[in-house]
Amino acid sequence: MNEKHEKVPNWKSDFPIEQKEAAHVNRREFAKYLGLLSGALALGNGGIVIKSLYFPAEELKGEHFVCNKADVPVGEMFQFSIEGSQVIPYILIHLEENEWRAYEQKCTHLACAVRYRADLGKIECPCHKGYFNPHTGDVLQGPPPRPLPQLEVVLKEDQVFVKAKEQDKIV
Amino acid sequence: MSDYRRSQNEAHPNKTNTLMTGIILLLILFVSIQIWFLFGALNNALKENFTFAMTTFVGSFVLAIASFWLLRYLPDPIRSEKEGKSSKKENR
Repeated sequence: MNEKHEKVPNWKSDFPIEQKEAAHVNRREFAKYLGLLSGALALGNGGIVIKSLYFPAEELKGEHFVCNKADVPVGEMFQFSIEGSQVIPYILIHLEENEWRAYEQKCTHLACAVRYRADLGKIECPCHKGYFNPHTGDVLQGPPPRPLPQLEVVLKEDQVFVKAKEQDKIV
Repeated sequence: MSDYRRSQNEAHPNKTNTLMTGIILLLILFVSIQIWFLFGALNNALKENFTFAMTTFVGSFVLAIASFWLLRYLPDPIRSEKEGKSSKKENR
């Protein structure tokens, strides 16, 4: 009895875990973590649904004064911001005589500030060379995934106002 | 005495390994598709595109259920020899 007992080294009785067994448990745990991750991703997706159902982005209400017509010559842009629940920067572009456009200044890629390049006839995002069509706000080139959000420009006598553009949703 | 389970295990000694690999690969596939859905939903939800958000959520939810259901088929952990012997004794 004693001899048999001596044959088992001390370290083995102290750590009675076999490598094979430990590796097997790890793979089981890995699979379970993957299941957990899968559940978390589904929850995240549900969060997006809840956000768009119960916390929709507030639309711009009413008309906002931007500047006088004479302040922005043809081919120039004017930066302004509208304060609401959060301050959003916009640009007003005077494309041609009586052709005005207003866009959000944040690039839809990584929210860099875009600017109008009259020499190119495009709106440029200098960070990653994304280009937008100044007439429609659509992406012409580069990494931006969506067109620039647009505001409707209203001209009243010598003053320029902006308001929320109707039907500004992708179908 | 040999029984069905024992002879099956002897005929296919790598069965557990193959099952485990298959399950993990399927889970990775599910999670990858879910990441794709989430990325698309995040991108589109910024534009208040509710239909897309809802569709990806349903897809993601179904995949999550499938992942949990797959976990049922994880092979049991290998018992150490000591435990194995004792359980055999109990069986007898």
